[in-house]
Amino acid sequence: MRYPETVLDEIGNQYPRKNLLLAHQAAMEAAGDRESPPGTPEITEEALNEYQARRAEALAAEKIFLRQQSGRKKTFEIGSDEDPVIRSWLVKAKESEARAAFYEPLIDLDYDFELRHKQHLETARQLPLIAAERRAVLGELTAAREALTEARAAGQKEEREAFSSARKERLALLREQKKELKASYREGTISAKAFNNEKKERSLAARDQIGVMRRQLPVKAQKERVRYAKHQLRRDKKSKLRVLDSDLSDLRRRTPVEIAKRRPLVSYLTWPLPGLGQFLLGQPLKALFFVIGSFFTYLIAIPYALGRGNYRGKGLFGLISLARDGSRLDRSVIFMVEGVIAIILLLMGLLILYQSFRDVNRVEKKMIKGVRRYNWFETRTAIKRDGFPFFASAPAALVTIFIVLLPIAVTILISFTNYDPSHQSKFNWTGLANYKQIALGQGIAGGPFWHITGWTVIWTLLATSLAILIGFVLALLVNQDRIYGKRLFRTVYLLPWAVPAFITIMFFSIMFSPDGPLTSVLSSLTGQITNIKYSAWGTRIVLILLQGWLGSSYVFLLCTGILQGIPGDLYEAAKIDGATGFQATRHITIPILLFQTAPLLIGQYTFNFNNFSIIYLFNGGGPFEPTKYGNIAGSSDLLISYIYKLTIQKQYQGIGSAITLIVSLVLIFIAWFGFSRSKAFREEKL
Amino acid sequence: MKVDLVNIGKKYEGRENFTIRHIDLEIEDKEFCVILGPSGCGKSTLLRMIAGLNSITEGDLLFDGKRMNKVEPKDRDIAMVFQSYALYPHMTVYDNMAFSLKMRREKKTVIHDRVIEAAELLQITEYLYSKPSEISGGQRQRVALGRAMVRKAGVFLLDEPLSNLDAKLREHMRVELVRLHKSLDTTSIYVTHDQTEAMTMATKIVLLDDGKVQQAGRPSEFYEKPANLFVAGFIGSPTMNTFPGVIEKGLFKADGDLFTVEPGQEDKKKLSGHEGKRVVMGIRSERFLAGKAEKNGITVEVDVIEMLGKEQLLYCKFPNGKECVISEPGHFKYAIDEEHNFHLDTQGLHFFDEETSGRIN
Amino acid sequence: MSGTKEKRLYLSDRPPLTAVKVVMLAISYVLLFFYVFVILWPLSQILFASFNGNHGSYLQIGVSFSFSLKHFEYLFGETYFLNWVVNTILIALATALLTLFFVSFTGYAYSRYRFKGRKASLMAIMLIQTIPSFAGIAAFYTLHSIIVSIAPWFSRQMFLILIYAGGGIAGNTFILKGYIDSISRELDDAARIDGCGNLQVYRLIIMPIVRPMLAVIALWSFIGPFLDFMLPSILLNDPKSYTLATGLHTLINDVRNMHQPVFAAGGLLTAVPIIVLFIALQKQLVSGLASGAVKG
Repeated sequence: MRYPETVLDEIGNQYPRKNLLLAHQAAMEAAGDRESPPGTPEITEEALNEYQARRAEALAAEKIFLRQQSGRKKTFEIGSDEDPVIRSWLVKAKESEARAAFYEPLIDLDYDFELRHKQHLETARQLPLIAAERRAVLGELTAAREALTEARAAGQKEEREAFSSARKERLALLREQKKELKASYREGTISAKAFNNEKKERSLAARDQIGVMRRQLPVKAQKERVRYAKHQLRRDKKSKLRVLDSDLSDLRRRTPVEIAKRRPLVSYLTWPLPGLGQFLLGQPLKALFFVIGSFFTYLIAIPYALGRGNYRGKGLFGLISLARDGSRLDRSVIFMVEGVIAIILLLMGLLILYQSFRDVNRVEKKMIKGVRRYNWFETRTAIKRDGFPFFASAPAALVTIFIVLLPIAVTILISFTNYDPSHQSKFNWTGLANYKQIALGQGIAGGPFWHITGWTVIWTLLATSLAILIGFVLALLVNQDRIYGKRLFRTVYLLPWAVPAFITIMFFSIMFSPDGPLTSVLSSLTGQITNIKYSAWGTRIVLILLQGWLGSSYVFLLCTGILQGIPGDLYEAAKIDGATGFQATRHITIPILLFQTAPLLIGQYTFNFNNFSIIYLFNGGGPFEPTKYGNIAGSSDLLISYIYKLTIQKQYQGIGSAITLIVSLVLIFIAWFGFSRSKAFREEKL
Repeated sequence: MKVDLVNIGKKYEGRENFTIRHIDLEIEDKEFCVILGPSGCGKSTLLRMIAGLNSITEGDLLFDGKRMNKVEPKDRDIAMVFQSYALYPHMTVYDNMAFSLKMRREKKTVIHDRVIEAAELLQITEYLYSKPSEISGGQRQRVALGRAMVRKAGVFLLDEPLSNLDAKLREHMRVELVRLHKSLDTTSIYVTHDQTEAMTMATKIVLLDDGKVQQAGRPSEFYEKPANLFVAGFIGSPTMNTFPGVIEKGLFKADGDLFTVEPGQEDKKKLSGHEGKRVVMGIRSERFLAGKAEKNGITVEVDVIEMLGKEQLLYCKFPNGKECVISEPGHFKYAIDEEHNFHLDTQGLHFFDEETSGRIN
Repeated sequence: MSGTKEKRLYLSDRPPLTAVKVVMLAISYVLLFFYVFVILWPLSQILFASFNGNHGSYLQIGVSFSFSLKHFEYLFGETYFLNWVVNTILIALATALLTLFFVSFTGYAYSRYRFKGRKASLMAIMLIQTIPSFAGIAAFYTLHSIIVSIAPWFSRQMFLILIYAGGGIAGNTFILKGYIDSISRELDDAARIDGCGNLQVYRLIIMPIVRPMLAVIALWSFIGPFLDFMLPSILLNDPKSYTLATGLHTLINDVRNMHQPVFAAGGLLTAVPIIVLFIALQKQLVSGLASGAVKG
């Protein structure tokens, strides 16, 4: 990289270089490339030397000048204000005046001098104005305080009495108004809603007016005056100084800087130590934040990753070793989990390092171009403005990472191990062995896998479709014009959804148990002992019917809502076009229903695919059929309940996780499909 | 309060070009300044920059000579009425109007007095304790005005406040707004795309297009002396008729041999530098005089007649198909498909350079 | 005067019924009432069973009804039912509050601010949440142990609350964000001109407007723990600390300790308040569902 020949400010305006040394360098470097002679005149050796001398002189003079500050202060004449804040401002203004004068002749030497000159000029201009305003408010405050003591001394007996009687009058008026309203309501001239509204409004009006009257009492009024003046003082001090700071930083944005750098080396050299780069660039307060961030990286993330401070694991190494040579208490799974935690912490730590690097790099590059670095005021303002979303989401993000993403990551990793009943305490990495088993239909899990998948698919399609069908039909029937008792039907049809599902499922489970009431009924109907729970297809059919019962409510409510929203003119137009009721239903109602509910109904399918409760609670996934399903799964098990049994009950976590992953990938695909069709996504509102 | 915009420009982050640039404007105290322009020309951006809702990239914004670029909106002594009124739905009308003063911890007596005063002026005292959802659109607009008035600000900013009202109400509110402006005695800056509003309400119009000021001045200037073709086409209803052509020997010859016009003396002088060059001539619909004349005449066929009562608009076609609009008094007799003669009033001609589209005369 | 009979006035807006239509109407009513029966019968059985003193440990059909409160007495006296109720309510309440806390900020941030990764992150997390993480239970146990070693008072129930709340963040943020999106940004602008800073705009203006949606989110987060069986069955190991779902399950899953009518009684007591809640707030609940969430 080379020295640019001109420098830029933040907006993009170009400025010629003032620093002759750098300008000369830049021109020389550019001349090597250029074919045509440069536009600016050559800078002679003499001029360079003269410039260097002047510059050194100016810098020395500046040092001396600044040191003489305290001496100068004593000579300032700032008037007779007593308020210390005003006095300090006026002193500052005078100092700025002096400095502006000092820098004026040095403007052409360097942009820094120019900036300081402009800034001090501005400060000298604004501070006295701000002070004058403060003076005025202070005057008002004193006057208000005096008025207050007067009012207190004078006592407000008369006023209080006047207020009392005025208040009584007003309240009486309010009562009158309320009486009138009530009469109108009784006569039926206004509705109940209007009656309530008007009553509320009149009360509010009365309350307001009484409040105003009360505030006009002398003591109260003056107290408010005092309070307001105090508030003004506080507020103005903050906001007016902020305006001054903004204007000063605006000057920074418009005055370029020239630095003797070609590459953003500081960022490259200091990236392992967040904060150092910022400090070297002259941003100490921002550096502090990054240093604190680096504490996290170096004192928490990295040690943890190396194994210190782990609960039982060994950080990253745990992932490799999986507690192979550990003691009895060292369990592989703990090592694995802590390994994943270590990775997460490490990533967070590295992110901090990266952000620090990027920050320093960006600032350096801009400085090379000529844009000044942010001072603390500008940094603080930027954080306040743009930092909100990050601070707001931080706790939620943390929880999501550790509670949601961590277990999933662990699940994925476990699927590549041989975590099973004989490897509970310690297991090893086995690569794709589990997946192979499943794909080939072998082994403890592989065998039943495809059968279970088959049933899961059938179940999902049948149960969901049944629920949807029932819900649809009910909604259509109830919503017919001539049906009375709509409210009754809607309330009753709400019940399957309202009653917690586990209660109904458990109840039906009892009812269908071998000595249960419904079994007896069925047996007497068919003439032989029919035990639903012992028959694979019996259980399955009952399950489908049960889910139809449970799921119809939700679909019913959804459809009812949509049906109520279909505009009546569609049907009227159909009537004019000659459609019968059936045709209208078929060509208008059903398409609209389907279209509106489709995305949500896809959610129903994924819900039933993973509908653990009903399967597990009804018959434990049974009945068992060892020849087909082995010893773990039952004939009504879904993939999800199968996974549950595998991992939680039978401790075949490895295979279980592999199945989980396969199933999930399919599910994610379907959910993504349904998602991308939903209204929100289509309107690109993301 | 006097408002000055000096070389104002706005560049959004991440975009290469400036959205608006080199805007210079001087708005005197108590003026009613309308910023006019088609959609997307940057007028709302300009208003928001004056308000402080968007940052100013370059240039200076001065209120009474004080630089306001970095001052927060709440400290700028402005009040704004939004296009959608932006009333706080969960507060009563009273609280809506009092909100800004409450945020500045103003004395409660002062708040109450000002709210009542504004409510009486706008005739909304009956709704003071209702919520915005309970009142009609026109009333909501008045509440929005009231909310702005209560601040007794130095500058009133209005962002297309009438666009959500129906036509009759809009007419009524135009007059109301002007009356309000006079009684409030402040500077008003009003943004709209409707040229009727601009022409009827403004004391000063600024026409923006494509991020640049096309013309700024009094309404009459816009009508009588549009600065370029864009302004000429934007202001005035029906739109000005334009005819491209050349200046030959001091006369204007329209393309397609439609007609030849001898401009008036003043115009001839100004056109002298354009001899042989291409220009565009503009003439407003009411500057066609009925009947045949010695020179400057045209013969056209009447295509469609819009009868407006006191005048009628004749949409006419030249033999080669070019169209123009002619406005004549309503009691003259015209019929469709008839051919009629008109001649051009040389006092009402506008000439624009074809390349730069700037005004010549 | 005419001698004709007075005509009956046909006042209805609808066309008069044909025979076919009458039949259709009758069929409709039959179907509707049939389904009413289908719904009410099992529920009524639960109702009767819990009050029927003639049931022993098992529910039997054909047993005559004799009103008795002994199942309820057993429920309150011999089981941890009250503990389960308190547990479930506390967990539900805490979940609702925690969810509200997280989501009210993230919803606002995602709606009103543009920042990198905005679009991707929400979608990604919601999709990833469809993965059931049974095997990752080990991660929960380990995490819990780690937290307990630092803060011994952190119980499994608290962890359960954290899991419920954490699981709900992404979806609820999405819903709330959609709702806040519909609030015009001009309201924010007006508030800023009136003198509000960032947090004040949120607290004074936006939040009061989105209160209904926050209520819906709180409601759903509250109801969730009542209905969930899986997580408590995996995480909670002390019968006293069970929630209603797992607790009531213990009454019927052990052949040696079978108390079916007691289960019915417990189920009834659990169901009634939730039914009341659903019926009273059905509008809000359905509106919350239909605003674009993917989960059923």
